[in-house]
Amino acid sequence: MNANNVYTPSEALIEEVITLSRNVNLYTVKTKEEIKWLPGQFFMVSVFGFGEAPISVTSSAREPLKFCIKKVGHVTGAIHGLRAGDTIGIRGPYGNAFPLDVARGRDVVIIAGGLGIAPLRPLIHEFMENGKDYARVFLLSGSKTPADVIYSEECALWEKRGIRVTLTVDCPDDSWDVCTGLVTAHLDKVEADFQNAASYICGPEVMIEAAMKAVSARGIPEERIITTLEAHMKCGVGKCGHCYMGPKYICTDGPVFSYKELRRLAERFGKGHGPQDDPMWGY
Amino acid sequence: MEKFLTVCPYCGCGCGLYLHTEGGRITGVSPSRNHPVNTGSLCVKGWNSYEFIQHPDRLKYPMIRERGALRRATWKEALRKVAGELSRIKDSRGPDAIGVLSSAKCTNEENYLMMKFARAAIGTNNIDHCARLCHSSSVGGLSAAFGSGAMTNSITEIKDARVLFVIGSNTTEQHPMIGMHMLDAVDRGASLIVADPRKIPLAGFARIHLRHRCGTDVALLLSIMNVIVAEGLVDVEFVRRRTENFDAFSSLLEEYRPDTGERITGVKADDIKKAARLYASEKRSMFFYSMGITQHVTGVDNVKACADLVMLAGHIGLPMTGLNPLRGQNNVQGACDMGALPDYYSGYQAVKNPASRRKFEKAWRKRLPDRPGLTLMEMLHDGVRAMFVMGENPALSDPDTTHVRERLERLDFLAVQDIFLTETSEYADVVLPAASFAEKDGTFTNTERRVQLIRKAVEPPQEARPDWQIICNLSGLMGAKMHYRGTYEIMEEIALLTPHYGGTLHHRLDEGFGLQWPCPDISHTGTPYLHRKKFARGLGSFTSVGYMPPAELPDGDFPFLLTTGRISFQYHTGTMTRRTHIIEREEPVCLMEINPEDAKRLGIAERQGVRVKSRRGEITVTAAITERTPEGTVFLPFHYREAAANILTNPALDPAAKIPEFKVCAVAIEKAG
Amino acid sequence: MKKNMPVPIKTEAVKEWVLDKNHLSYWLRQLRKDFELVAPLRERNDIVLKRIDRIHEIALDCPASIPSPKEFLFPQFEPMLTKGTDGISDLRDGSKRVIFGVRSCDVSAVNLLDKFYLSGIADPYYESRRKNTLFISLVCNVPDGTCFCAGLGTGPYLKTGYDIQLYDLGDRYLLQAGSKDAERLVGRHRFLMRKPSKTDHEDQYEAQASSKAMFAERISLEGARQMITDGKVADDFWQDVAERCFECGGCVYECPLCTCFSVIDRKYNAGPADEQVERSRLWDACMFKGFTGMAGGALPAEKRILRTKRWFYHKLIYYPETLGAFGCTGCGRCTITCPGKIDMASVVHRMGNEYSKG
Ligand SMILES: Cc1cc2nc3c(=O)[nH]c(=O)nc-3n(C[C@H](O)[C@H](O)[C@H](O)COP(=O)(O)OP(=O)(O)OC[C@H]3O[C@@H](n4cnc5c(N)ncnc54)[C@H](O)[C@@H]3O)c2cc1C
Ligand code: SF4
Ligand code: SF4
Ligand code: FES
Repeated sequence: MNANNVYTPSEALIEEVITLSRNVNLYTVKTKEEIKWLPGQFFMVSVFGFGEAPISVTSSAREPLKFCIKKVGHVTGAIHGLRAGDTIGIRGPYGNAFPLDVARGRDVVIIAGGLGIAPLRPLIHEFMENGKDYARVFLLSGSKTPADVIYSEECALWEKRGIRVTLTVDCPDDSWDVCTGLVTAHLDKVEADFQNAASYICGPEVMIEAAMKAVSARGIPEERIITTLEAHMKCGVGKCGHCYMGPKYICTDGPVFSYKELRRLAERFGKGHGPQDDPMWGY
Repeated sequence: MEKFLTVCPYCGCGCGLYLHTEGGRITGVSPSRNHPVNTGSLCVKGWNSYEFIQHPDRLKYPMIRERGALRRATWKEALRKVAGELSRIKDSRGPDAIGVLSSAKCTNEENYLMMKFARAAIGTNNIDHCARLCHSSSVGGLSAAFGSGAMTNSITEIKDARVLFVIGSNTTEQHPMIGMHMLDAVDRGASLIVADPRKIPLAGFARIHLRHRCGTDVALLLSIMNVIVAEGLVDVEFVRRRTENFDAFSSLLEEYRPDTGERITGVKADDIKKAARLYASEKRSMFFYSMGITQHVTGVDNVKACADLVMLAGHIGLPMTGLNPLRGQNNVQGACDMGALPDYYSGYQAVKNPASRRKFEKAWRKRLPDRPGLTLMEMLHDGVRAMFVMGENPALSDPDTTHVRERLERLDFLAVQDIFLTETSEYADVVLPAASFAEKDGTFTNTERRVQLIRKAVEPPQEARPDWQIICNLSGLMGAKMHYRGTYEIMEEIALLTPHYGGTLHHRLDEGFGLQWPCPDISHTGTPYLHRKKFARGLGSFTSVGYMPPAELPDGDFPFLLTTGRISFQYHTGTMTRRTHIIEREEPVCLMEINPEDAKRLGIAERQGVRVKSRRGEITVTAAITERTPEGTVFLPFHYREAAANILTNPALDPAAKIPEFKVCAVAIEKAG
Repeated sequence: MKKNMPVPIKTEAVKEWVLDKNHLSYWLRQLRKDFELVAPLRERNDIVLKRIDRIHEIALDCPASIPSPKEFLFPQFEPMLTKGTDGISDLRDGSKRVIFGVRSCDVSAVNLLDKFYLSGIADPYYESRRKNTLFISLVCNVPDGTCFCAGLGTGPYLKTGYDIQLYDLGDRYLLQAGSKDAERLVGRHRFLMRKPSKTDHEDQYEAQASSKAMFAERISLEGARQMITDGKVADDFWQDVAERCFECGGCVYECPLCTCFSVIDRKYNAGPADEQVERSRLWDACMFKGFTGMAGGALPAEKRILRTKRWFYHKLIYYPETLGAFGCTGCGRCTITCPGKIDMASVVHRMGNEYSKG
């Protein structure tokens, strides 16, 4: 294979497919060469004949490469048609990673909405594995309905290893006896020292926005509020232009940004410059 | 890298573009800067017209249906089968049991050959094409009024006009490059009058936007003319010298005072007056219309009313005036000119006229049938037992498609010749793979009568062949040998038999950007505007009749008025645009435009699924809530096979032109589960 | 592999020769032995850039070609790779090309494209074509009514950043080589050339002055940039501009500095059970709402104003910030192509009229 062509995917073998929810599967893949990645980075995953999609790594550096993929369209639909033993193409890892220094020695508040837990998982592993570097770690994870909850068994394991987990659903049904409502409504339960904490947030855009505002209001400084964004992506390496946000490309300048960076972009360029056409970061 | 100047395969603008090739593949497109129509611009479809050409879905070899499924066949086998079946049906049931559909997407040469094939090889006048569905009312209405049914003026004149009156044409979206010239005119100070029930983009630039009710065009135009007469704005001298029938006509006008107009159309009497004054008082006033006028049961009446307005104000026969029907398909003008019509040979020489018939009989050395044939709708709704369809897709493009499909199903034999497997070919016994516009030579005639060369840039995929060669092959097998060394030889024959095209030989067209017909001989430089000094029929005739409501109006069961049309990113039945990545990404789903008030009343949210029902069928689409469409009316594009608007539309026909009423039918709307 | 990228060099170090006009076609014919020769041709008065078969047909005194030479480095449609049963094959183009007779503004554009495509993670397709392409530009002596490079320093002649630049001095060309590779290439046919004399340099100066004098209007992109960053330009202005957009994408396709693309997969049946997938890229444009569309149909930039504004912001504000120069060379192609007349020059002009006073 052509090593000097960044657009050429490497073949990867799907070793295992686990169904996590009605439309989310967990894929464990094996590559020929060894690949290293950091929490927060993503790969371009391709199924030939269908195309490529950016997918975050959901496994920690000590685990095999894993992707947690929701079936939403053309490419993700094709991936869902594959089984263990099939091959996919991958290239990467791309993008920056979650900064860890902002959290050193501090309380950590992780807020996940839906599939947002997937890219945050390697981060949670980092906090468990190097627990001494950080103070308390809180995880607030919300899903739309009980049928959408993923990683619930893992949450139990994480809890055993010291992560303070709160699970919620927006629209509960009879099988659900834990708490309900939007994930931000449960921030009160988080007994973190907010003034002196860091926060990592991932999920749907409206949820990210609400969560960033909420933790900011509780006193976490903007530069220690970290999120990861989504955009339409075709190349992953800063060339195709689809993932623009003002002067930035989310694939190379991100996908991880701090609330501070996003606020600054919004202040400078006003509303309407990128995928995120909303009052907060505008562009 | 090679570049070939050719003509865009989409709309009737006929823009000049270069196809770029590298290694036998098309790698891009660029506009011609000096082309009179597009002057260095292209619309999104033109810019992306390279992609469908090399799509893997292209038909690459002939296919024959066997036990329900199409299988690969050799050319020999397939051609024999078509010729054999057609001959069998001709022998057993007579030639009129066969119907031929020619194509507004194919070249003039191919349309000419197709009509020769139908008439001389099969022996029937049952030949028609999709112009029936778009502008047959123009041909009918304008022949009566002026004696010729084409756009009278040229696109380059638009920018210098002082007033533009645009009715029933969403020009910037459907004829973008003509829309560009209109904006240019407005920038140079021209006043724009737009008459359209929908708030089309052009309306944003209009001095006056008349939002009349769908299907009330005649009433609107007559009341405008009433004002012109009442306020003494008639060009008396013009009417006296160049027209006839004014008296009968003026008594009709008396019934349409502006307040009557207001009652019928919903347009304020004041606006009617303003429009009348604006249009009549400037000399350089150009009038444009398109499918919003023609696709009605009163299509011919609508066209006649337009013609009368233009004559009343004396706005014809000069540059920057005229009556300008904007033709939809890239070569629909040419297909009509070439006589792919049941009642005309090429150059509108009537089948019924014995002199014309003798002329063609002599040239082709065959006896020709003397009775005009069936129109497209008649072929599809009764009439024929076998059909030969070239580059058309009636199973999606025609009204009441459920019925059309039943008919196609019941045919004894159907052959389809196309570049993709269309909805129609699902019913075909034989499918023949054709070359696309990039893979053959020939000519297209755009809406302003400009006959232009298209040039071969790449080879057709695998075994596909240019349509004209296929027709020659078939004709030979059916006992009428056709032999041409190239399309230029076909054009020579056309020139010989068609007065308008007398001088449009390929080598002349090659010199510049084509020639506008009438171009009677090889020294003639073409005609930028028609009816100078004299109408084609001598005197212009006032032919208006009174207003008649559409065939089907909303009622208790079907309370909404549905109007259909195109959107700027898709094209017709989507065989090309839906295979073009950028375009399909823009408009991947069928959106139904509905007014916010109506949506609120029905509890419909943006992008919600809705079921649309008419007396003929139902489809499910996605709602797009917009002020563009007036209350009580919904708009649907007809491009989508998964939500085919023409399942709903009414096949009611204009009695003369036999054009169906695509623009008005009654529907009911409800939220989809 | 060694790159044949234009290396900016100081004026005094420029290697110069004089080539008699009579020898031009001989020289080009020699070059054609090793390179595909591409040059502008007049076709029905259109200026098209394509492979040249008959050298005498090259159009030497003509405005810039349409579209820009960008298509030789980044074609509108470019197959990237195929995947069949025997694995993936790379379809990078590495043909050697000389592109003769392009304008200075287009060479300036290529320099900026180099910065964009080759920085960070380099784009292999662009890189491969670029390495194998040499531009021989002509100092512009026939600017179009739509050109405004003179005020931007991207033309009509270049001080640095060219491969080979020719000044038309009447009966001869002054030829400047801007890179070592270019020098070597010219050196191969030294026998056709001579060293410039003082008269040659005087004539060169006159050529520079007269070509600069031919520009009617100067468009100030810097002025526009300032008006925007000062917050003077209201959304109403952009709304008016956006209303006129036909969403054709032409501005982006024509612009020598627009770089965006999309990627598509197409399946071809090479034979029974032998499926070939071709992955290609094609020009895309931020003017389309689907450009930023998300899975499931959300359209973050559905409003046209967001897209129109984005294009101008990208060229006037983001480009200088990220690549150090405006994303516009003043070539005027968007002015020619935009059916809505909301091209760079018109909009900047209009902005000036509306906001510069007061
Ligand atoms: C950095 C990053 C990390 C991601 N991580 C994950 C993950 O771990 N798990 C997961 O399930 N999903 C993830 N996504 C979202 C995933 O990429 C999209 O759901 C996927 O691209 C949709 O492609 P499709 O062809 O199936 O959908 P379609 O609806 O068929 O395609 C929609 C169009 O949007 C384009 N598109 C490109 N990027 C996106 C995007 N991000 N969102 C929506 N549309 C997009 C597609 O290419 C296509 O043209 C991530 C996205 C980004 C940007
Ligand atoms: S913005 Fe317009 S004038 Fe400027 S470089 Fe691009 S196409 Fe040329
Ligand atoms: S060229 Fe003009 S009309 Fe076309 S997309 Fe660009 S700005 Fe819009
Ligand atoms: S994904 Fe291509 S630039 Fe970001």
